[in-house]
Amino acid sequence: MRTAYTISAIGHAAVLLWSVWSLAANPLPVSSTEGLPVDLVTVSEFSNIAAGSKDAPKTETAKPLVEKVAEAKPVEDPTAKVVEKKEVKAAREPPPAPDSKPTESESAKKQAETPPDPIADALAKEEVKKPEPKKADAKPPTPPKKPAPPAPKFDPKQVAALLDKREATRLAAAGETLNNAPSLGLSNGAAAQLSLTELEALRALLAQLWTVPAGAKDPQELVVLIRVKLNRDGRLAAPPIVLTSGASPLFMAARDSAIRALFRGQPYDMLKPEHYEQWKDVEITFDPRDMIRG
Amino acid sequence: MLGGAAGALASLSPRPAAAVLKLNITEGNVQPVPIAIPDFVGIGLHEPATGRNVSEIIASNLRRSGLFAPIDQAAYIEKVSTIDTLPRFADWRQINAQALVTGRITQTEGRLKAEFRLWDVFAGQQLRGEQYNTTADNWRRIAHIISDAIYERITGDKGYFDTRIVFVDESGPKERRIKRLALMDQDGANVRYLTRGDDLVLTPRFSSSADTITYMSYREGDPKVYLMNIETGQREIVSNFPGMTFSPRFSPDGQRVIFSLQRGGSSNLFVMDLRSKATTRLTDTQVIDTAPSYSPDGTQISFESDRGGKQQIYVMAATGGPAQRISFGDGAYSTPVWSPRGDYIAFTSEARLTSARDAVSRHLARPHLGAVA
Repeated sequence: MRTAYTISAIGHAAVLLWSVWSLAANPLPVSSTEGLPVDLVTVSEFSNIAAGSKDAPKTETAKPLVEKVAEAKPVEDPTAKVVEKKEVKAAREPPPAPDSKPTESESAKKQAETPPDPIADALAKEEVKKPEPKKADAKPPTPPKKPAPPAPKFDPKQVAALLDKREATRLAAAGETLNNAPSLGLSNGAAAQLSLTELEALRALLAQLWTVPAGAKDPQELVVLIRVKLNRDGRLAAPPIVLTSGASPLFMAARDSAIRALFRGQPYDMLKPEHYEQWKDVEITFDPRDMIRG
Repeated sequence: MLGGAAGALASLSPRPAAAVLKLNITEGNVQPVPIAIPDFVGIGLHEPATGRNVSEIIASNLRRSGLFAPIDQAAYIEKVSTIDTLPRFADWRQINAQALVTGRITQTEGRLKAEFRLWDVFAGQQLRGEQYNTTADNWRRIAHIISDAIYERITGDKGYFDTRIVFVDESGPKERRIKRLALMDQDGANVRYLTRGDDLVLTPRFSSSADTITYMSYREGDPKVYLMNIETGQREIVSNFPGMTFSPRFSPDGQRVIFSLQRGGSSNLFVMDLRSKATTRLTDTQVIDTAPSYSPDGTQISFESDRGGKQQIYVMAATGGPAQRISFGDGAYSTPVWSPRGDYIAFTSEARLTSARDAVSRHLARPHLGAVA
């Protein structure tokens, strides 16, 4: 027994010793492969940028920069529009409901205060009676009203939006509330609108061809909006139509430089023919204000 | 078709196919505009080179502005022989000209008729066309006026080519330097002397009316501020105070002259109305206030003063009153001049470098931003 233990102990010790020696002597071979750092960059990282300024602090929910108040926000989703219309109907009905509550509490108070006076009692009863039919009237509309309360505040500023019978998918240019404090983004950011290399290429080409009138003091005059109709081969179908107007020499210079860029850029090969329906009609804003702000 | 298109286009835009694609271009470049200026066509010219000279003056004016890049005539494909037909725009596009100037000069005896057309090569349109009549020896001025018209039409800013510069011309050996008032075109041509160099002259300045200058001269011993009509040569002394007057400058409307008057160890700013000859004191200090310059709207004055210990630049209302310091750096800041557009003040700053050599540099400052580096 003892010899068996001894043999076993010696055997184990030998195996252990051998393994320490042999394994330590031959470290696991590690072949060195050249590391290739890979960084995934998506197109949207460049094109999906909110309107803002480069040095603004980053916020969790980025608000687009809105410099001008317009009638309504763009409503992208048709379903959202339907909900909005429903709310309009609800807003007309509610008047009776708010009435009932104050009268109820008022009458209760009166009852508690003046119990001995019979005349007052009678008056009070009358008053109590009055609201009751009202209450009965009001009750039915309340259940469907419940989900509505959060939104249907009547806002006179929004009348135009309520009367609007156009397709739900229209896009307004400006926002409904001013937001002068831009959040992180770029002035040319157009998040939620475009994210494609074709458009980025078009934008880059025009930026390269467009010579900004130098040394303008009032850059507001230099913003030019131009509508361009394109042929399938990427050439202008007609001379560009200028949608902004002005008579100052500065505006004329800005307008002509923008038109010159559009002429020089054709044919716009980067626009693929299979997307022709998308780009056959383009509205381009040439806005040098950021360049001049510095 | 709609379904397929919508699928294919889903990535392009969330809007349906009928919508207008919107694009914002907020960046451009500020490269000089390539412009082609072939020789003007000459008809009946006594001096056949006039057509070429005019186009050369226009080209060098525009090139000097930094905003245009005139294309070498050797590259031209089309030879312009008349200005009554459309140019072959394709030929000009070929050499990458964005604008093209064609012109004609007709001489009938002593009179010149100059016509020009400015073309947008890529749009294939005429941007501007004008004609001028003048005497034959005035062809240089015509070239400057045409340069102004082209400059204004393409940059939107007023041109400055049809202007003159008044300056002090120094000549002679070091110990007997002669200083004369002189006048030249903006491009250095047509130099004309206004004084003979008998007395020392300094700091000539133009009036907005362009026929009067004001300057400082030692003509009567003490330095005094003078006015001179450059057409008639008539001279007049501005406010004959005891003490020395210097550093004059016109108000933007040309009706007043602002200057410094030194009495004792201090100098103060005064303004004189040229019609009533009434002089008003603007500052009353025991320090040196000088080098005043009006803002283009005439409501403010920038000047240098050592009221803070060192020479620095200040701005105050044109009627006097408290002044606001706008320069704060090391060294001395002097001779502020307001830009015609009103957005910058140019000034000189002198700072002592470590090598004990004085470095003088000229800078621009925004008057409303306050601090200047």
